[in-house]
Amino acid sequence: MADEKEHRTVRVLCPKLVLHKHEPGLQWLIGSPFLPPLTVISTVKCILTDSSSSPDYAKESVSPIRAEDLRTLLPKGFDVAGALIVAKSDVEKNAANAIDSARRLRQILSDSGGSDRREALGVVVDAESGEVHFFASKSVKSTSLELVDSIVYVDRPEKYLWERGCLLRCELPIKLSIYYPVENSSDAEKMLQRATGAVIAKLKDPKVAYMVETVGKTSAEVPHPVVLRGSELDFSVGFSHIKPSNEAGQESDAKLVLCEHFCVNDKSGSPVYSAEDADKIQVSVLINSSEKSPKSAAPVAEYFPALEEARFLTVEFKLQVLSYATKDLPLMFAVSKLAVPGLIDQLNVMKNAILPNLLLQHSQLRPYHFSPPGVLHPITVIYELNYGETELKQVEVRKSLHLRLGLPLDRPLLRIANALDMFTTDGVKSVHKGSSLLKDVHIGIPSSGVSGGTVSLFQGSYEYFHYMQDAFNDSGWGCAYRSLQTIISWFRLQHYTSIEVPSHREIQQILVEIGDKDPSFIGSREWIGAIELSFVLDKLLGVSCKVINVRSGAELPEKCRELALHFENQGTPIMIGGGVLAYTLLGVDYNEVNGDCAFLILDPHYTGNDEHKKIINGGWCGWKKAVDSKGKNFFLHDKFYNLLLPQRPDMV
Amino acid sequence: MPDPCASPTPTSMTTPAPEPTPDPCAPPPNLDYEPPQPSVDIPLASPPATLCPFTVNDAGEPACSVVEPSKDDKKKGSKSKSQAPDSSSLFIDKDWVAEHARQVSRMLLGGMKVVGIYVWVGDSAFKNSIIMLGQTVKAIADAAPLLEIDLDERILIHISYSPRRWTCRNCSLASNITSSNLRPCDFKMGKVLNSLQTFKCIYNFDLRLPIYKNSSNVRTFTDALRHAISVHAKELNSAKAIIDGNLVVNDKPCASDDLHEVELLLPFMKDASAEGSQKEVTGVIAFSGSVCSFAYLNIKEPISQAVAQIKEDIILSLQSRLDIICDEADGDADPSDAETGEGSDGMTTKNPISQLSLHLLRKTCNLSLPRRVFVPWLADMLVCDYLQSSETIEVVKDHCKELLSMETKFESLTILKPEVEAPALMARSFWDVAAPLGSAPASSSSSNSSTLETQRGQTSGTTVKSANINVILAAFFLLLSVIIGFVLIAVKRS
Repeated sequence: MADEKEHRTVRVLCPKLVLHKHEPGLQWLIGSPFLPPLTVISTVKCILTDSSSSPDYAKESVSPIRAEDLRTLLPKGFDVAGALIVAKSDVEKNAANAIDSARRLRQILSDSGGSDRREALGVVVDAESGEVHFFASKSVKSTSLELVDSIVYVDRPEKYLWERGCLLRCELPIKLSIYYPVENSSDAEKMLQRATGAVIAKLKDPKVAYMVETVGKTSAEVPHPVVLRGSELDFSVGFSHIKPSNEAGQESDAKLVLCEHFCVNDKSGSPVYSAEDADKIQVSVLINSSEKSPKSAAPVAEYFPALEEARFLTVEFKLQVLSYATKDLPLMFAVSKLAVPGLIDQLNVMKNAILPNLLLQHSQLRPYHFSPPGVLHPITVIYELNYGETELKQVEVRKSLHLRLGLPLDRPLLRIANALDMFTTDGVKSVHKGSSLLKDVHIGIPSSGVSGGTVSLFQGSYEYFHYMQDAFNDSGWGCAYRSLQTIISWFRLQHYTSIEVPSHREIQQILVEIGDKDPSFIGSREWIGAIELSFVLDKLLGVSCKVINVRSGAELPEKCRELALHFENQGTPIMIGGGVLAYTLLGVDYNEVNGDCAFLILDPHYTGNDEHKKIINGGWCGWKKAVDSKGKNFFLHDKFYNLLLPQRPDMV
Repeated sequence: MPDPCASPTPTSMTTPAPEPTPDPCAPPPNLDYEPPQPSVDIPLASPPATLCPFTVNDAGEPACSVVEPSKDDKKKGSKSKSQAPDSSSLFIDKDWVAEHARQVSRMLLGGMKVVGIYVWVGDSAFKNSIIMLGQTVKAIADAAPLLEIDLDERILIHISYSPRRWTCRNCSLASNITSSNLRPCDFKMGKVLNSLQTFKCIYNFDLRLPIYKNSSNVRTFTDALRHAISVHAKELNSAKAIIDGNLVVNDKPCASDDLHEVELLLPFMKDASAEGSQKEVTGVIAFSGSVCSFAYLNIKEPISQAVAQIKEDIILSLQSRLDIICDEADGDADPSDAETGEGSDGMTTKNPISQLSLHLLRKTCNLSLPRRVFVPWLADMLVCDYLQSSETIEVVKDHCKELLSMETKFESLTILKPEVEAPALMARSFWDVAAPLGSAPASSSSSNSSTLETQRGQTSGTTVKSANINVILAAFFLLLSVIIGFVLIAVKRS
């Protein structure tokens, strides 16, 4: 924090500071109390509750619901560093407005009654020129704004964030027993209020014990877990008196152990820096049932009959919070100032969500953590599992989150399938469990040989399906089925769907079901083509397709521009069918000037085993020029071709 | 506790005789009384196996006698028909022995178990009574089950008159009793008592048990409590432990041999007793209090064993208290009255509170479980007993004499009463209790219980100290000048 004195610098970590350049709006700038002030880690768009034309940006900070959202969305250890306004004029006034809004929101989020002494950042972006101005304000009292012209866009921001920090994770399932009179069932809500209040009090009770340990490392030198007693912890609000101390040599005292003590990730080699790969510290909440009391009374049981009709209800909360702490932060602060407030906030948010339907619905709220592309830190979203993911209400929730975080609106990034698996399988990232298929076999192939061409590839990942897999002999007839399976695997891996990749027989069944084929088709060895594929994609995934027909293979190079456009905008793999063999097209390399082009073909006719080298050497996945060096045409001139272009679903 | 019998290598099961000491190296023990007849005693074990003799049953008859065929066959159980001089056999009152085992095991703390019986009888009588002995072993195994380890063996020690010799056998419980079930095993003596480590834990709990309207399984107060204890046992099993301020993470033995303080850390607010939703309830039981628990551990054993023993001791102690209340209720219940039953408010009945059907109760009622008190026994080990509010310390003395044959002058003993009498019933209502984590029981009753304490001290005439248990143990260690020998039995599985 030394550099705040004289030379003020704004550090920008987030890859995309301005989410929407041309529409007026406000974004919260997220920093961390543990990093130097005026550091922007990420940004969250402010969504106004009403879309009135006068942009009163403080509204979000006033609306408690929005503030609550932000409270659980961000892990503890991150907070509002300032605000950014996109406006047409009046730079100074908008900067003051932004700083004011940010301070007010910070006040609400921190629960502290005390004055906000930290610096705040106001950024104004000219909606027309796109020029960015940075202003800083020292404290609430000082009204003067200071223009900051030293802006550092941090290179490798993930490293900056995760090299000096770690993630605390705390999982706490709570089961509350609620009794309420049948006559007056609204009392149930009061009881729940009291129960959650009691939980919050108990989290700060001297009897509570927090066990802190390293996560997921099985090496021999794992530090022993440390127990912090509630009586030793300071639960007062605010970070003002935390002194990240570097005094070593006092590690014997559990109070003074730093977070660093539990960060055991191997720093040698080339470590990966991301939220998923960050050092993780597990915090468990326990109750000390042997706390010394002046006297211990022998057990006694008392029975209290209910004098009016009463009912009993259990309410479950499955709390899971993440917090960010720098490694030089003492553990006891990490627990009392980050993990515990995080638990309390999440409990309150869930309670408020449950209350209106307490007796009507058995609520299943679950927190999920995501690390969407472009956002440096994990975010936490609470979903109600009673609703299906595709129900409109949930889609709206996700859409608004995409909007807030500046994520693209045409791909699912915040579905449950995208969630980080921080709490169960430690360190094991298994996107597709049990799958032994090769993924993304095109990686590492030789270049196409098109000089001066522009490569347009599909986006994402797929699994390579080909002949003879799963000991199923489909050689000679199953190539289109395999191509379809590859395409469906793409939709699976992109989390558009969670259905299993269908077998040949299941594909045939679908075609019979929709009336395209006769029942005798099931179990047959009949070919299918691009049109059948589009039926199955529509039926299974609701995906529509565009079809390009060419009468001769000679016409295909002409379609390169259209195909390149598809890969850029849709990014889905293309199936090539038609008069002869079926292929999967993963990309094109096209020189617009001389028309030279090559096609990245994934060939389902491969019958060997899943060995990457063999596949590449055999040319089963590789760039194919329309006319190869020997003058041979890859696409036959006397055959027609159908190209099936699946359209990326416009969904989140 | 890994039972020595189950251990593939010779381990420590010691058998200190309770009274004047046998030479550790030269069995048989030099008892200062010759048993007038064969006696079946119960060796206690794990870590130390100690012998615990008993004498006569309720009817004043010996619980065990040698039946000579020449005599008039008074005991119907006699199976000896041969006229040969060595055809004498044993008669054992199995039920009595089993009941003794049950009551003794109730007095034992964590790490101490009833692991078998010993019999002091001539060779021929022993050989002729294998079946009877096997049945007895089975009976005590049923009466004092070893919860934690699922061991289907118990130990049978035979001490013969002449030549004086100890032999030890494994007695399998699995199949029918034949002589083949008895397998000889090694038998060693060693000093273990002094190297035992003591673990102490005060365990506080506060449970709320909903009583559902239409539930069939829970009917009486004790049923409900028994159910709650078994549910709570599971929760307790998952508890982490802190010993002397350090979290138990590895399985190293504990270094020092002082008294170790154990703290148990339970999962936060994971109310296992609550189940289902939107059920109608007729009431709620508030079950709370403290259990003072001890466990003994051989110095070589991993510390996690101590934690397991403490947990088991806590649950067994709660169950024992409930058993005592039930035993008493059974004793009191007059069969002819049983039907007069539950009046409109459920309270007019002669049934004790513990047997009341909760669904019919319309009044608040409370059931105080007996207090646990501790009596010094061998070396600085303690045994426990339970005192109901109506009982005096004399009861404890009687139990010690009857069940453990303790001959010590009780005036010189310090009986520890770390648990005070449960505070008087607070005027609380259903909603006060049902409210989540309702206010903790007020401490206003502390004065009451302390007066009770003094009164009790006067009537019992024993030295009652509620001082720190550390001090007392140390003092007691000095008092105990009797040297105690140990038998180390190493059992080899064949």
